[in-house]
Amino acid sequence: MNWKNVFSLMQVERKSGRLIRGQKVTRYRENRFLAYWPYWIALGIGITGGVLAGFIYDSATTVNPELFSLFQEGTLSIFFSLPTLVLVYSLVFTTMKQIRISGVKTSSQVPYWLPVTWQEHTMASIFASLMGFPLASIVFITSVITVFSVFIGQIAIAVLTSLAVVAAAFMASATTEILRILQVRFIGAIYKSSGRAAVWIRFAGSLIFLLLFYVIYFYVTSGGGITVVVALASAQTSAWFVPFVWLGIALYSVATSGLLLQGFIFAGLSILFIAGLFFLATLLNRRFGLYEPPAITVSRGAYVPKTGFLGKLGFSKIESAMLRKDLRAFTRRRELMTIFIIPIIVSLVPLMQYLGQSDPTPTPLFTIYRATIFLLPASFMTMSLGSFMIGEEGQSVWRIYAAPISAKSLVKSKYMFIVFFSLAFLVVTGIFGFIVYQTTLVYTIVACLEAVFLVFALGAISLSNGIIGADFTETPRPRMIRVSWSFVNLGACIAAGAAVLAPLFPYALSAMLSGVLPDFLDSAILDPFISLSLSAVIAVVLTVIFYQIAINNARKLLTKAEV
Amino acid sequence: MPLTISETFAVELQNVVKRYNEIVAVDGVDLIIKRGEIFGLLGPNGSGKSTTLKMLIGLVQPDSGSVNVLGVNVQNDPVAVKQLVGYVPESPRLYEFLTGIEYLDFIGDIYSMQTEEKKNRINEYLKALQLEGREGDMITGYSDGMKQKIALISAFLHRPKLLIMDEPLSALDPRSARIIKDFLHQLKAQGVTTIMSTHVLEIAQAVCDRIGIMYQGKILALGNMKELRQMAKLPDSGLEDIFLKLTGTGDIRAVVEELLK
Repeated sequence: MNWKNVFSLMQVERKSGRLIRGQKVTRYRENRFLAYWPYWIALGIGITGGVLAGFIYDSATTVNPELFSLFQEGTLSIFFSLPTLVLVYSLVFTTMKQIRISGVKTSSQVPYWLPVTWQEHTMASIFASLMGFPLASIVFITSVITVFSVFIGQIAIAVLTSLAVVAAAFMASATTEILRILQVRFIGAIYKSSGRAAVWIRFAGSLIFLLLFYVIYFYVTSGGGITVVVALASAQTSAWFVPFVWLGIALYSVATSGLLLQGFIFAGLSILFIAGLFFLATLLNRRFGLYEPPAITVSRGAYVPKTGFLGKLGFSKIESAMLRKDLRAFTRRRELMTIFIIPIIVSLVPLMQYLGQSDPTPTPLFTIYRATIFLLPASFMTMSLGSFMIGEEGQSVWRIYAAPISAKSLVKSKYMFIVFFSLAFLVVTGIFGFIVYQTTLVYTIVACLEAVFLVFALGAISLSNGIIGADFTETPRPRMIRVSWSFVNLGACIAAGAAVLAPLFPYALSAMLSGVLPDFLDSAILDPFISLSLSAVIAVVLTVIFYQIAINNARKLLTKAEV
Repeated sequence: MPLTISETFAVELQNVVKRYNEIVAVDGVDLIIKRGEIFGLLGPNGSGKSTTLKMLIGLVQPDSGSVNVLGVNVQNDPVAVKQLVGYVPESPRLYEFLTGIEYLDFIGDIYSMQTEEKKNRINEYLKALQLEGREGDMITGYSDGMKQKIALISAFLHRPKLLIMDEPLSALDPRSARIIKDFLHQLKAQGVTTIMSTHVLEIAQAVCDRIGIMYQGKILALGNMKELRQMAKLPDSGLEDIFLKLTGTGDIRAVVEELLK
C-alpha cells in the first residue's frame, strides 16, 4: 500500500469539506496550521482537561488518602470502557456523515481513473470518514487520558487505551464503509425490481432508517446513553463473542494482573477482526465500488400535463410549478428527508415518557407539558423548512435566477409550501395528541390554533432568514443555510414564538403556581379565546412584517443572482 | 416609420465592466448584436465570455455600463428580459430528482405556456432529440449528453426571441448537434437571435454570422469571417489561425517542443 496515495486522497476529502464561503479563493494558499484547527482545539481542551483532572486528583487524595484507591479503580473502569464508547460514537458519526453526503452525486469520491489501488482507496475512505468530530473526539480523549495518567501513575495503561481507542474508531469507520457499499448495491437492486414504486419505497425506507438512526443518535449523545454504554462496556467480558468488544476485553485483561495471556489473545483477535473488516471493505469496493444505482423510472407512457388544481387555489402557473417541484424535492431527496425526523422525534419523546409513567394522572404542570405535542412538532417543521427552502436549490439555483420569476412569486410559492407542509403535519400531531393525551376539546382547539399562528409567523421569519443566509454549496454535502444564519433564525424564532404564546402566559403561571400560591388568577376570569385573539394579532403582525422582509430579501437575491 | 434602436438590435452593451475582486473579467465591452443574427463569442479560458453572457440575462450584475436586451434594460426589468430569453449555461445543473418530462413541464409552467402548446412542443423536442422512452426516468440517471439535450429543450421550449447559449453543443452526439445547428438556422429565419460561446471553432465558423473574439475581458476583434481575415491579415486562413494570431497564442510549435523535452 502506498501511504502517500492514501494521504493525498484523504486531503482531497478534507479539502472538499472545507467551507470556502467568504474566503479569498483567488491565489488561495492554505495555512497548514489553521487547516487543522478543530484538532488543535481538541488537543488543547484535552491537555487542559487532563491537567485540571490531575490537580483535582492530587488535591483530593492529599486531603483524603482513602480516595486514592477509589480514583484508581474509577479511572481504570473508564479507561476500559473507552474503546467501546468510541466505537459506538464513531459508528454513529461516520454513518451520519454518509447520510449527509448521500444526496451529492458530483462528490468528492476519489478519482477511480488514477493509478490508485482499491486498498488505498478503501483505506483513505475509512480514514476520511473519521475526519471532523470523530477524529477531534479521539484527539481529545487520548490527550486527556494521557495527561491525567501522568498524575495517577498509569501511563502504560493510558497509552494502551489510546491505541485501543484509535483501533476502535478505525473498526467503526470500516464497518460504516462496508454498510455503505452494501446499502448502495442493495438499494440499486430494489429500484430495479420495484419500478415506479421505487420513489415511495425509497421515501418510506429512508424515513424509517433515519428515524431509527436518530433515535439511537439522541440516545447515545444524551447523558443517559453514555451511562448505558459505560455499563455495557463494564459488562463486555460477558459479551466476549461480539468481536466489537474484543478491544475492551483485551485492555481489561492486560491491565489486570494474571490475565496477560487472555489479553494478548483478544488483542490478536481484534487485529485479525480489523484486518478482516478492511479486507471485506476492499473486496466490496472492488466488486461494487463503481456500481451506480439504476435510474428510477417514475412514469411510463404518454405525457399528460397536470391540470391546474393549484391554479384553482389561486396560484399562478409559476407558483404552482415551484410548489410541485419542491414537493418532489422533499419526497425524493434523501438529504432533505432529515427535516421530517426532528419533528417526529419531538412528537415521540414526550409520548414515550408519558406512556412510561407509572401514574399518568395529569398534574397542573403536565397541562403545559402536553401542549408541546401540538406546538413543537409543527413549529420545528416550519423553522427547518423555512430556513432550508431557498438553500435547498443548491447549484441548480441558476434555474431560478434565469427564469422569469419575480421575488413575490418566489416568496409566495416557498412560503405556502412551508405553511401547507407544516399544517399537514399539525393535523397528524394534533389528532395524535388529542387521542393519546385525551385533552379537552377547548384545550385542543386553543393549542392547535396557537400552533397555526406559530406556523404562519415562524414560516415568514425563517424564510426571510433562509433567503439571506442561503448557502448553495453542495460538496461534500448540501449546506442550505450558513451556520451563523441558522443560529440567528433559531434566536428569532424563539423570540417570536414567545411573543405569540405570551397571551397564554397567565394560564401557564396559574398552572405552575397552583397549590403554591393562593389562586390569584381565577381561571373563571381568564377567557382562552381572548388570549387566542391576542396571539392571532401578534402572529399576523409578525407574519406581515417578515413576509415583506422576505420579499425584499428575495429581490436582492435575484438581483445579485451570482452563481 | 424609422426603426428605433431597440427594434433593430437584440443586444446592446455599452462600456460594460465587471470585476471579481482584483480580476477584471469584463473590461469596458461595447457590443451590438442585430436581431435575427447568430453571433459567436470566442476566447481563451477566463477571457470573460461566460461573464458577458451571464450579464445579458441578469445572472451577473455589471459594475458599470449598461446592458439592454431586446429593448429592455436588464438591470431595470430582469423578469421581462428572462421571459424573452432562452438560456443554456456552460454546465447546466438540472433538478436531478425530477424526471426529464417533469423538468420540462416545470420549465413550461415557469414560462407560463398554455397546457396544450407545452405538451405538443415537449413531445416534439423529445422525439427530435431521441429522448423518447427515457423521459420518465429521473435525470440523475441521465448521461451528460442527455442532460445537455434537456437543457437545450428547456431553452427552446417557450420559443424565446433571444437564445443565449454557453457551449451548447458540448456532449451532444453528431446527429443531435446537427439538428441543433440546423434548427438555429431555421430560428434565425424566423427572426430569433442566437448568441453562443464555444471553443469548437469549426462550429463557430459554420454556424455564426458574426464572431467576436474576447481576450482578457476585452473584445479584440469583431466581424464576419471575411472581416476577421482582414483584421488578422490572413486572407486564406480558417478561424483557428485567425484566433491564435489575434489572441497572441500562436507559439504552439514552441510550446509543444518544450513539452516534448
